[in-house]
Amino acid sequence: MKRVVVRTCKWIGLPGATIVISCAALTWLIGCATNKPSGEVAAGTTGKSGAQLWAENCVRCHNIRSPGSLSPAQWEVAMMHMRVRANLTPEEHKKILEFLKSGS
Amino acid sequence: MSRTIPIILNQTIACAFVALICLSFSSAAMAQDTAPPQPSSDYVSRAEYDKLKAEHEAMKQELDALKATVQQMTAGAVPAPVEAPTAKKGVSEEKQVVTVPPEAATEELRQEVETLKTQVKETFPGTTKFLLGGYGTAGFTARSGEDPFFDAAFNAIFLFKMTDRLFFEGELEFEFEDNETTTNLEIAQASYLLNDYMTIGVGRFLNPTNFFVERQHMNWVNKLPDKPLAVYDGLLPESELGGQLRGVIPIGPTKLEYAAFVANAPGLITESDDFSEIGMLDFDNDANFGGHVAVGGHVGFIPIPQLEIGYGIQRSKVGPRDRAVQNILQSADFNFVADSALLKGLINARAQWVWSHVGDFVYDPDGSQGFGPLEFNNNRNGGYAQLSYRPTHIDDDYLKNVEGVFRYDRFNQLHTPVGFDEQRWTIGLNYWVTPSAVLKLAYEFDDKNGGARDQDAFLMQAAVGF
Repeated sequence: MKRVVVRTCKWIGLPGATIVISCAALTWLIGCATNKPSGEVAAGTTGKSGAQLWAENCVRCHNIRSPGSLSPAQWEVAMMHMRVRANLTPEEHKKILEFLKSGS
Repeated sequence: MSRTIPIILNQTIACAFVALICLSFSSAAMAQDTAPPQPSSDYVSRAEYDKLKAEHEAMKQELDALKATVQQMTAGAVPAPVEAPTAKKGVSEEKQVVTVPPEAATEELRQEVETLKTQVKETFPGTTKFLLGGYGTAGFTARSGEDPFFDAAFNAIFLFKMTDRLFFEGELEFEFEDNETTTNLEIAQASYLLNDYMTIGVGRFLNPTNFFVERQHMNWVNKLPDKPLAVYDGLLPESELGGQLRGVIPIGPTKLEYAAFVANAPGLITESDDFSEIGMLDFDNDANFGGHVAVGGHVGFIPIPQLEIGYGIQRSKVGPRDRAVQNILQSADFNFVADSALLKGLINARAQWVWSHVGDFVYDPDGSQGFGPLEFNNNRNGGYAQLSYRPTHIDDDYLKNVEGVFRYDRFNQLHTPVGFDEQRWTIGLNYWVTPSAVLKLAYEFDDKNGGARDQDAFLMQAAVGF
């Protein structure tokens, strides 16, 4: 195990190893800090509406665009594009698409 | 002993009494649970009948309209649909609505309407769904020591959804460069959704290692008129030519994103009229000079919806086949967006740092270029941190569209043929006309060491996404 860790660290270099360890530590800390049963701050989709997921996911990169800016058929294409580009889960994709189509 | 028996008896009686009460309650509860439902009656009230009749009439009208549409689209060339007699049958049974269950007739009619809808859709020219999007930009740059200039660019994005699993995206960029209009193929990728958590893509795609390039480089998404040092057009490729596997794995309330790819490796610049380029990487190595393959990937973690952190790495050999050296590119990214009620607005913090390593290589071994033989490794790094705020919660219609931006970016390459480090502080002011149309103003304070001249700049840009 130690050899694997050492070889991995050598392979990705010191900056990479530092970042991986930092990310793991930060992940663990945030995981502990946000472990709320209500799930209000969770990234998971369970219990969240399409509108909520639309606001949470889209705004991470750009301003959210109005559902009325595209037709339902166009949203189908745009959302498949975003599912691949922004790594949306199937549930997020489905709920957001339903919301956008209902509002367009 | 004689006192013990009454105590036991008393306890037994008490227990029995409690058990009897519990049994009574549970029996009552069970009785409620298992109570038979109210007997249904076959009787249909007048109101119910009228309601069903109205629904029936509405569906009949929809059916007639669909029939007319089908006939118009086929222009009489196609024989009457097979369902036509069935439809008549449905109509002929209209009078039996009262005698047969009306729900059955309505359901039958609904099924016929669905069949006709499907037929209408099948008469359309194709099933592929297409969307033309993109973005356009117009800008002005006044940089000290250089002539000021206007520029414009247009990126057209073509999206095709062939099936629920197969997707194609292409992007063409048109821009002015050296008094000419140039065209670049930015993206040409076919993607196939293997399953819910895995998508395979082949072609030319944006480099997944570079978070800024993949998610934020578009001019209507990028919050300043220019792009950060080192991260864009610097140490990492913008696009890759090869194949990638990517997806997302929900882990409880969090998400883990991943991407892994194989692609043409960058080329190593060993000859150039500009000495500062020696030892740099050529990312436009579409012909794959050297014949090397790059392997890379990116992992991103979203612990809460507002935060995303990631790390990417790309590794390959570069240079001539017989003297190839190791190349490692790395990137760490951070993105935080929060809609703060306390600060009455949207806060966005972005940061990314990249590293590039090229192993020891002997340049100009025979001295024909006039500076060799010269052996060195090329290690450079740089990145940016950016903070923006937009008071989206305030009541003023104009002020809520104003956004302030601050960015610090840096490029460390003093000990390379470039010979200097550079750092910049940029302040910007944006006005969002629509969610995807923005006017940007910015001033950039530049600081270079190693004897290079500082070049402060005033920048303007209008960007529209569509």
